[in-house]
Amino acid sequence: MITIMKKFDLYDLKQTVNRHGVLISFAGPFSHGIIEELGQAVTRYLEAEAVTKASLTDVFSVFIEQTQNVRNYAVKMEAEGITDHDFNSGIVTIGRSNQHHVVCSGNFARKSDMPSLVAQLNQLHGLDKKELKALYKQQLRTTRNPGEGGGLGLIDMARKASEPLEYDIYELDEQYCFFSLCVTV
Amino acid sequence: MENFVIEPTKSSPAILFDGTTGILDIAGESYPENSYEFYKPILHWLSRFCNNFREAIVFNCRISYLNTGSTKSMMDILDLFEERHSKGLAVCVNWYCDSDNDRAIETAEEFREDVTFPFKIKSLEE
Repeated sequence: MITIMKKFDLYDLKQTVNRHGVLISFAGPFSHGIIEELGQAVTRYLEAEAVTKASLTDVFSVFIEQTQNVRNYAVKMEAEGITDHDFNSGIVTIGRSNQHHVVCSGNFARKSDMPSLVAQLNQLHGLDKKELKALYKQQLRTTRNPGEGGGLGLIDMARKASEPLEYDIYELDEQYCFFSLCVTV
Repeated sequence: MENFVIEPTKSSPAILFDGTTGILDIAGESYPENSYEFYKPILHWLSRFCNNFREAIVFNCRISYLNTGSTKSMMDILDLFEERHSKGLAVCVNWYCDSDNDRAIETAEEFREDVTFPFKIKSLEE
């Protein structure tokens, strides 16, 4: 049997990435080492762009929280023995939109994990910066379980964002979906 | 008490706690793969040290970035100091940050809001 594979057009992919203002992108398995390396690349890139130190800190911290959330979710799935999707294989992009930086991440997830996540994102949406700070401080005190860090990360990102956090859920089948989150800093 | 030392990595800070002088230095970036596991032995040592050491403790922090997990552990460290302070034992924090970085100063101020012991925010050049 002969299978003809469609030629993979990298130029097309690169054009898509450019069209969306993406400056740095990574797709593949997120290891801690890759997060460190990408983090350094992001820092160097932003330093060269001469953004203020406060903006650099904000973009860097949103990047770290995004990638560590994906990584922690994958670790949790692995611990539960759920291996029928490559949860660790995600995508992260850092781009520019007008005067802002946009940090997006996407990963495979269980549909059953979505309602609580969506409820949390909707809750954050309704809060102003002062309320977000109060919630952040309260969560810092109450999160005891070491695996529960994700919620704190979302609040932290919402505090650094200049616009509400945007998310999208792409349904794949009965059980799984692809979740993406975009944070405009 | 014995010293406590951890070498830095790209994502975890250098720790140099002097068990004789009570000068505790921490410096670098903090977003380890598992912040809870990273800070557990540090908190363990500090907890013992706070109970045994009668002289003044000086905690010099030069951390340029803390992820949320590390922020939580830093709160636990400050809680130990708060407990010590409430027993009338001396402790102070010198928090060094880049004076050009408003966000770094804000982070330091947010930690300071939650403590009653001496907490000085200093410029990195000091």
